[in-house]
Amino acid sequence: MPEQDNTSLTFKLVYYGPAQSGKTTNLLRLHDILSPELKGEVMIMETKDDRTLFFDLLPLGFRAPSGLLTKLRLFTVPGQVAHDGTRKAVLSRADGLVFVADSDRTQETNNGEAFQSMADNCHRVGLDFEHIPLVVQFNKRDLPNAVPEAEIRERWDAAPWPVRFATALSGNGVEATFEALLRALYRRHVDGLGLATDHRLTEDAFVAGVLGRTLEPQ
Amino acid sequence: MSTSDFDREWRLGELFDAAMLARIGPPLAELLGADLAILDRDGRALWGMPAPDATREALILELEPAGFLASAAARPPQLRSAARMFTALLRAEARYRMASALHLEAVTQDFETLKLEHSRLLASEARYRKLSEELEARVAAQVATLEARQQMLYQAEKLASVGQLAAGMAHEINNPLGFVSSNLGSFKLYLDKFAALHARLAEGEAAWQSLDLDFVIEDGAELLADCANGLARIGRIVADLKSFSNVDRPPTERANLNACLEHAVSVASSPLPPGVTLKTALHPLPLLACNPGHLNLVFLSLIKNGMQAVQDSGRPGEVSIRSEAAPDGITIRITDTGVGMSPAQQERAFEPFYTTRAIGAGTGLGLSTARNIVLAHRGRIVLDSTPGKGTTVSLFFPGTP
Ligand SMILES: Nc1nc2c(ncn2[C@@H]2O[C@H](COP(=O)(O)OP(=O)(O)OP(=O)(O)O)[C@@H](O)[C@H]2O)c(=O)[nH]1
Ligand SMILES: [Mg+2]
Repeated sequence: MPEQDNTSLTFKLVYYGPAQSGKTTNLLRLHDILSPELKGEVMIMETKDDRTLFFDLLPLGFRAPSGLLTKLRLFTVPGQVAHDGTRKAVLSRADGLVFVADSDRTQETNNGEAFQSMADNCHRVGLDFEHIPLVVQFNKRDLPNAVPEAEIRERWDAAPWPVRFATALSGNGVEATFEALLRALYRRHVDGLGLATDHRLTEDAFVAGVLGRTLEPQ
Repeated sequence: MSTSDFDREWRLGELFDAAMLARIGPPLAELLGADLAILDRDGRALWGMPAPDATREALILELEPAGFLASAAARPPQLRSAARMFTALLRAEARYRMASALHLEAVTQDFETLKLEHSRLLASEARYRKLSEELEARVAAQVATLEARQQMLYQAEKLASVGQLAAGMAHEINNPLGFVSSNLGSFKLYLDKFAALHARLAEGEAAWQSLDLDFVIEDGAELLADCANGLARIGRIVADLKSFSNVDRPPTERANLNACLEHAVSVASSPLPPGVTLKTALHPLPLLACNPGHLNLVFLSLIKNGMQAVQDSGRPGEVSIRSEAAPDGITIRITDTGVGMSPAQQERAFEPFYTTRAIGAGTGLGLSTARNIVLAHRGRIVLDSTPGKGTTVSLFFPGTP
């Protein structure tokens, strides 16, 4: 459940995925691309050879028409298999997930294992994996041996989660992935948190607020 | 969210306690060259006394102010620089605190997982223990059944060999019994002649001659000697029988194995089957602590096996029995020149239920029972056989020190 007090609301969003799939790169690009009312620095905790040891954190925020401060804290987990304990701790209390898969054909097994570990860890830390907002991103589309989009779509066709394609290195698809998550997040909480009623926040306004876009006049 | 979560909102007063603020505050004020106070996010002073008209500069950790620097006299650019410096300190501290809190959470979770796995392990260990107990009970039951069956088989074999023994004995006893009773019949006729002499005493010497009493006296003495011989034979056979009736007497007794072998040879050779010769080469032996009744049976059945093997070969042959004192015990060899055994037969010869003949078909104890008895005497039994040539069974009994 998102953190809530009288004046603010905080969502915790976690980028999960196999080692080196581009989670940290996603966060860095989002920091570059987005321009919400409030944007913190990317806090890169500690790395070894560029691989995350603890987590990365990007804070974003904007004010709803009601005055409610909506904050989003984007975390990445360390992808290396050895850090499962840390991964579970970072995953704890998440309100939404992005699974960053590596499109490289040779990474299919790693993707599968990481996805399974995400589902398992969700259960272990008490998250409702069946209902938590989740977007699957296939990153590194620029790789020559990337699994073709059609093949991926066909395979994920029956799955309930939105699938997005990205090249985080160039920033392509990074925002679209995040937007898909924001929409799923809004729909999950619109009623429980009275987003539309109490805070006069529509889905598009919510997305526009986080991304820092000006809302198209209706 | 609990106060130990790594991703909680960290407060200024929590990141820097009063002592730490008291160390940072003064030099910062000195650098600033003005009054200075450090406030939390609600404007409460954590260090210093803010003037009512002081200017505030926000200290932003993530998105919102975690606290403020307040000064009335400081110039705005200087105050902003001081705030930037303070924020850098604050963020470094926050990073450190988050990392350690996360580490602690991960370790605690791992510990919880370990505890869970440990309890699962305990549960499965309990299951396995139960299973293995059940298995053990089942194995014990099976072993008991097998032992009971083997005991029954042993009893059946014992009965069979006792029966065979009895038949042989009956034959042997019948023979002297026949001539003793026929001798006694003749002797009665001789006594009748003396009764007749009484009536013809008057005839004197002529009556003696006509009744042929010289012959009667001579032959009567011979008949009695024959009877005595026959009875002695019966006595010997009965003595042999007696030693075999000691089978169930508990051990142990110091016995001469040569005596046991002689008993066995004497029982086995009455009657001796046609075409079979028995040879013995018994050398002086030390006494052995043993159960002679059991060993008698072993020797008898080995000798009978040998005789049977010779008969099975269809040609005349011999069974030789040799005993010898070795430095560390006693060696006994029973060799026959019979049919021999194939390697496959030798391999299975000691199996409890293995026999090349019908069970109880008169060969005495099975080899497995023989071996059990030998083993009970801490001895060894070894088969050496060549098909068509014959078999040697070697027994070794370690000497009692
Ligand atoms: N070709 C290609 N490389 C990428 C892309 N996105 C990320 N990378 C590279 O992949 C490597 C790993 O990227 P990171 O963002 O550090 O991966 P991560 O998922 O955070 O890795 P861990 O922290 O170890 O779990 C880096 O060398 C990136 O430059 C992409 O879209 N295409
Ligand atoms: Mg990373």
